[in-house]
Amino acid sequence: MILLQVIVGGLLLGAVYALLSSGLTLIWGMMNFINFAHGEFVMIGMYVAFVIVVALGVGPSIFGLAAAIGLFILGVAIYFALIRAVMRGPILAQILSTFGLALLLRYTAFWIFSPNFVTLPQSSLTGTINLGGILLNVAQLVAGVVAAALTLALHLLLTRTAVGSQLLAVAADRQAAMLMGIRPDRMQALAWGLSAASAGIAGALMAISYPFSPAVGETFALTAFVVVTLGGFGSVPGALLAGLLVGLIQALSAYYFGPVYKDVIVYGLFVALLWLRPQGLLGTA
Amino acid sequence: MRWGLLALTLAFLAYPLILTNPFYQDAGALVLLAAISASAWNIVGGYAGQISVGHAMFYGAGAYLPLLLYQHWHLPPLLGVPLAIAVSLGLALVVGFPTFRLQGHYFSMATLAVAELIRIVVSNWELLGAAIGLQGPAVSPNWWDLTFRSAVPYYYIFLAVLALLLAVTWYMEQSRLGYCLRAIRAGERAAKSLGVPVRRYKLYALMLSAAFTSLAGSLYAFKTGFVDPDSGLGILVSVQMIIVAALGGTGTLVGPLLGAVILVPLQTATNTWFGGGGAGLTFIVYGGIIVLIARFEPGGLMELWHRLTAPRTRRSPAPRHAA
Amino acid sequence: MKSFARMVVATVAVLLVAAAAQAADTVKVGALYPLTGNSAPAGQAAKAAIELAIDIVNNAHPELKGLPLAETAGLPNLGGAKIEVVQVDHQGDPSVGQQQTLRLITQEKVAALLGVYHSSVALTATAVAERYGVPFVVSDSVAANITQRGFKWTFRVTPIATDFAKAYSDFLTDMKKAGKKIDSVAVLNENTDYGTSVGNSIAEAMKTGGFKVQQIVYSAKSTDVSPQVLQLKEQKPDVAVFVGYTADEILYMKTLKNLDFLPTMIIGDDAGFSDPSFLPAVGDIVQGTLNRSAWAVGAPGSVTEKINEMYKAKTGRDLDDTSGRWMQAFFVLADALNRAGSTDPEKIQKALKETDLKPTQLMMGYRGVKFDDTGQNTLASTYLIQLQGKDYKSVWPEDRATAKLEWPMKGWKQ
Repeated sequence: MILLQVIVGGLLLGAVYALLSSGLTLIWGMMNFINFAHGEFVMIGMYVAFVIVVALGVGPSIFGLAAAIGLFILGVAIYFALIRAVMRGPILAQILSTFGLALLLRYTAFWIFSPNFVTLPQSSLTGTINLGGILLNVAQLVAGVVAAALTLALHLLLTRTAVGSQLLAVAADRQAAMLMGIRPDRMQALAWGLSAASAGIAGALMAISYPFSPAVGETFALTAFVVVTLGGFGSVPGALLAGLLVGLIQALSAYYFGPVYKDVIVYGLFVALLWLRPQGLLGTA
Repeated sequence: MRWGLLALTLAFLAYPLILTNPFYQDAGALVLLAAISASAWNIVGGYAGQISVGHAMFYGAGAYLPLLLYQHWHLPPLLGVPLAIAVSLGLALVVGFPTFRLQGHYFSMATLAVAELIRIVVSNWELLGAAIGLQGPAVSPNWWDLTFRSAVPYYYIFLAVLALLLAVTWYMEQSRLGYCLRAIRAGERAAKSLGVPVRRYKLYALMLSAAFTSLAGSLYAFKTGFVDPDSGLGILVSVQMIIVAALGGTGTLVGPLLGAVILVPLQTATNTWFGGGGAGLTFIVYGGIIVLIARFEPGGLMELWHRLTAPRTRRSPAPRHAA
Repeated sequence: MKSFARMVVATVAVLLVAAAAQAADTVKVGALYPLTGNSAPAGQAAKAAIELAIDIVNNAHPELKGLPLAETAGLPNLGGAKIEVVQVDHQGDPSVGQQQTLRLITQEKVAALLGVYHSSVALTATAVAERYGVPFVVSDSVAANITQRGFKWTFRVTPIATDFAKAYSDFLTDMKKAGKKIDSVAVLNENTDYGTSVGNSIAEAMKTGGFKVQQIVYSAKSTDVSPQVLQLKEQKPDVAVFVGYTADEILYMKTLKNLDFLPTMIIGDDAGFSDPSFLPAVGDIVQGTLNRSAWAVGAPGSVTEKINEMYKAKTGRDLDDTSGRWMQAFFVLADALNRAGSTDPEKIQKALKETDLKPTQLMMGYRGVKFDDTGQNTLASTYLIQLQGKDYKSVWPEDRATAKLEWPMKGWKQ
């Protein structure tokens, strides 16, 4: 019974990991670009939620939307201001640019909000549901379900819509896409916007249950890297699967081996994967 | 150019004798330490083009082992230095062998993950001090414990090590290894098709780099007298090396030194001026600088220098057509 | 490298100008805090506390009767000289701490130093002070070995990990004697410097006290602690002791409620439980939880209450235990500076060694301040406070209690 509880908890958190990683995998697969500032997008999403709730006192759907829109704009802006120029340069510049960006974003948040932890004032999503002996916290349940749904939605957007196929075309072959009349620049900016937005919503969802501060971005970034590698670079369904898996593995290892080992196991898995199957579960080589 | 080099060497040799304030002498030692680790990273990250984001594992090994020998078995920390180098070489082989198959970003990710893994394991391992860390001798009468009251002996030791490292790098640059590494950096597949033993040479570069990074870590442990998972194995340790090297210019001999000379005093100055305010301004400035380098001058200051000095040697093209 | 030389000259120039702009009769003291990095919240709160303490000493505050140096302006034995504190951010990095301590001593020429929070930074910073012969007052780093190196210039005012552990163990032994059922204790600590040293001390003390101990070590900054809480739910310890930082503790409390497990009593080891964001976040679901503190606001009209009001006016929050300990350390240093009557380090060291403050002269609840040969304040102590309603009230030891202990704790149950 307790085991089932552990599993459910792990899966719900894993769904949120999936959402926050789906954007990263999109960028990575599409532009072969690692965004070391991805964790900061999650953190900013949390703070956008905070600001909106404190200022307007609205519920999760509104501040979730606000986080999505705000981060979308930020993602596009960053693309045009920095990424576009850096992409053409050496790998070193790419790595450095987002590292520097992460520091910049993190400490700007620090400067504006102070380093203190904040929690969102209690929202409508309080309480616990008892489902056959398993205690499900409403906020976490909603977060998990919404995250899974949005990840699927992103996948559908990419595979079933015109815009989506344009994005995938640019990902597959930039030159060919240009010949087909698709503007890669626009698509890449769009991808950055979507990536940041999905991270932002994931942040807003987590903010309902977890306390946060400007420093939380780093942990999320590392988790996202593991999920993306496991799922396969560029594969959103892969990110969903991997996110759930990572959430599950973390919960189970924490329960059986002790909490500190959960990180060791997840990283160990990551390294093993990079060695044995770099393309991940659902990625293409 | 020769005179410039001579003047430079003299300046470095004379620095602590001219600026006798202990704080400036100490700052000088820290600049040299940063230059050593960045130059060590440069061998595999700059010359071979393999961006390792996990070099902290070698630095940490170099810092931990001497202090471990001291704290648990009361042996002179100096004995730990060759031990640490051996461990780092082993680590380089174990890590490099499987990961060098991976291309570009994948390699970077792998090195990052392995370093993080090691850090987590160490922070939970009692023998290695767990999260609390290891301490070295605070004040010792023995010269071989290398606990100097003044920063000047450290300065000269670091300077000697840096000189050695740069000499080795220069030699490598001119040798077959250097030649092949440049080919690898330019294009791995092409190099392979030309018969360059890519994997083997990447491993050599990594091992050489690891050995000197380990040495840098040991020097850090002697000077600071303390190491814990964050200061010895943290991500920032790896990133700092990359940034210093990149600022000056990766793949060049003195790029990392140049980067250290500029960045380390800058970091100290911003912390001194802004740090007390507590608004995180130091790191906003730091982050901003990194973004600017990446955006506008990824080749670092050496490239900027070359660009500024090149036009003088180039003449305008002669007219093509006959009058 | 001309650029470097120019930078050096520029830095020197700036520092010279700054030094020249010094007022004549001030005593300079250096304070090192973690103002950035993971412990920034604590560092910033401490900085605000020190700034308040500077104001109390430098200006006349006749309303704070009995607090040494508060009623007068400045340091009387130094002709009313004011204390000037040079504030430094060590970023939680031992190397930066070492470097900045060196700067404070050799450039700013401070008479004494105060700090630092992180035990790792305390180790390197005090070593520099020891080499140069400058007194270093440790305000709140709890690692035992800071005062175990045979140093002559390090003085620690605050109680240390083993003191806290003993307090908890004594408390539970008292409760058991009074007939409460306490057989098993779970200790949950995060795995960084602080959690490990304190968690281990507590587990040790509990074992010595004859309790069955289960120690769970978790990663700081976890995003989910359900597995650990489920483990607790299975083991059902009578008492759960939490040693961790704010985010983790808030998470734990919420998870305990979600998974519906309430031990008979929860003890929080300061840190997370005292952070300003803790009570607003989970105060209503952890009614009755114990915490340790050497600080209590006290009765209206008391000196401590006035200090708290001043701090609240400055920062909008109540003074917390950690920042209180920083303030107390500052007052101890100021008192020693005054008795030394000079900025000569040896005289200050002597004055510190001779410190003998009575409990009535302190803002913290120690039994006094008196340093032993290792530099540790042997009269440092802590008491246990309990969350009753909106605030913590002291409940143990009985001679210092202002409220009656509620056992078992109510938690989220009415």
